[in-house]
Amino acid sequence: MDSTTDELLMLRVRDGEVEKLGVLYERHRTPLFSFFVRLTGNAQAGEDLVHDVFLRMLKYRHTFETGNRFTTWMYQVARNAHFDSWRRRQHEVSLDAQEMEDREALLSPDPTPDVKLRHDQEVKLLQKALAGLPVESREVLVLSRFQNLKYEQIAGILDCGVGAVKMRVHRALEELRVKFSQLAGEEAYEL
Amino acid sequence: MNCDRVKELFADYLIGNLDEIAKAEVDAHLAGCASCREETRSLQTVWKKLAALPEERPSPELDIRFHAMLEAYRQGMKQADRDASPRVTLSDWLSGLWPRQPALQFAVAVVLFALGLLLGPAFTQRERNNTAGGGGTNDRALAQLREEVSNMKEMVTLALLQQSSASERLRGVHWSYQLEQPDREVLSALLRALDSDPNVNVRLAALDALQQFARNAQVKQGLLDSLPRQQSPLVQIELINLMVELKEKESVPVLKALLQNSELNSSVRERAEWGLQKLG
Repeated sequence: MDSTTDELLMLRVRDGEVEKLGVLYERHRTPLFSFFVRLTGNAQAGEDLVHDVFLRMLKYRHTFETGNRFTTWMYQVARNAHFDSWRRRQHEVSLDAQEMEDREALLSPDPTPDVKLRHDQEVKLLQKALAGLPVESREVLVLSRFQNLKYEQIAGILDCGVGAVKMRVHRALEELRVKFSQLAGEEAYEL
Repeated sequence: MNCDRVKELFADYLIGNLDEIAKAEVDAHLAGCASCREETRSLQTVWKKLAALPEERPSPELDIRFHAMLEAYRQGMKQADRDASPRVTLSDWLSGLWPRQPALQFAVAVVLFALGLLLGPAFTQRERNNTAGGGGTNDRALAQLREEVSNMKEMVTLALLQQSSASERLRGVHWSYQLEQPDREVLSALLRALDSDPNVNVRLAALDALQQFARNAQVKQGLLDSLPRQQSPLVQIELINLMVELKEKESVPVLKALLQNSELNSSVRERAEWGLQKLG
């Protein structure tokens, strides 16, 4: 396995060894895909966006400079790709019924049906609640909770101060809590 | 410690990022403040709940797409390198075949004309048959392939236009000729090259390349904007020629403004006056 750092690999890609992008792809495709699926709520859109990010990396490889951190740069490219795709679609993605069904099919099986049902319902509500947040809140939550990034790195990606990231995490979590409680209340009422 | 300070430290508290002293201070505040305690507890619960969201994995289809894209890009780069190496061009080769004697030139032209008359209908018939018999799937696949190839060409063009060596950027400009309908990004890169490339040859080549898209609104505006900004008289003259050729009335005020400049190069002045006369 290639143990060269991401940064060194990207510098080599920049300088013409474009095949090294394959190693970076192997390392980052899954976290990047997860990032997009959590952001958009759509697996197909997630794959299209991952493809787009690696294409952009080739296109803009000259902008990667010595001293840049690869993951920070990658998520910056990823945000731009997501923003452009959102602009093309002219509306923010929310999970529709079909997508929710698709995602339910992805859930891991659980041996006890009752526990599984409760777990599945909670995941479904969480996904719904997350999808209902403004994109800025969703973004900061996904980056801090799932992408294994430090607040300092997130600040670099979002182009703001570390203090601002921390405040956004707090605010976004509060929004998610409110949304989740709302949806859970509606669900209980429907039942 | 007050409630606002607890909010500020919350994100670090959440992930265990606080040093012992700060953590003890937050804990002490939470012990005495029911509202902060309740808020922190509920947010921690939501944070933990998020762990339940399943890890998503892309399909193998994505790997295939990625590797195809990377390979196409590499091929594009190789092709660009080959194009840059000195070689005999098709036009050099054809001109070598062309006889010097006018009488022989006429004879060759007649023979070629006759061949065209004989072979032309046969080829067009075959083409028509192929079109009629072609399946929809093949057409779609072909259209997709064309699009992918076009994307690759655009990428190679952009990559070359951003290189530091002038000869590489020239290659980028030449690559743009392979694009039937370049996107905004390529057109912007060509306009940038025309406007501000330090090498005048690259600027001239960019102007040549842009001529074919001069009816495009973005290109037309870019060309008009570039005229007064140009440092090179040669490029300015070429731009004026193009405006006249296109009978571009919108260039009249630009040319008039150009003539107001007392330091304008005399050849450019002459050409601008000629241009105004033609367009007027």
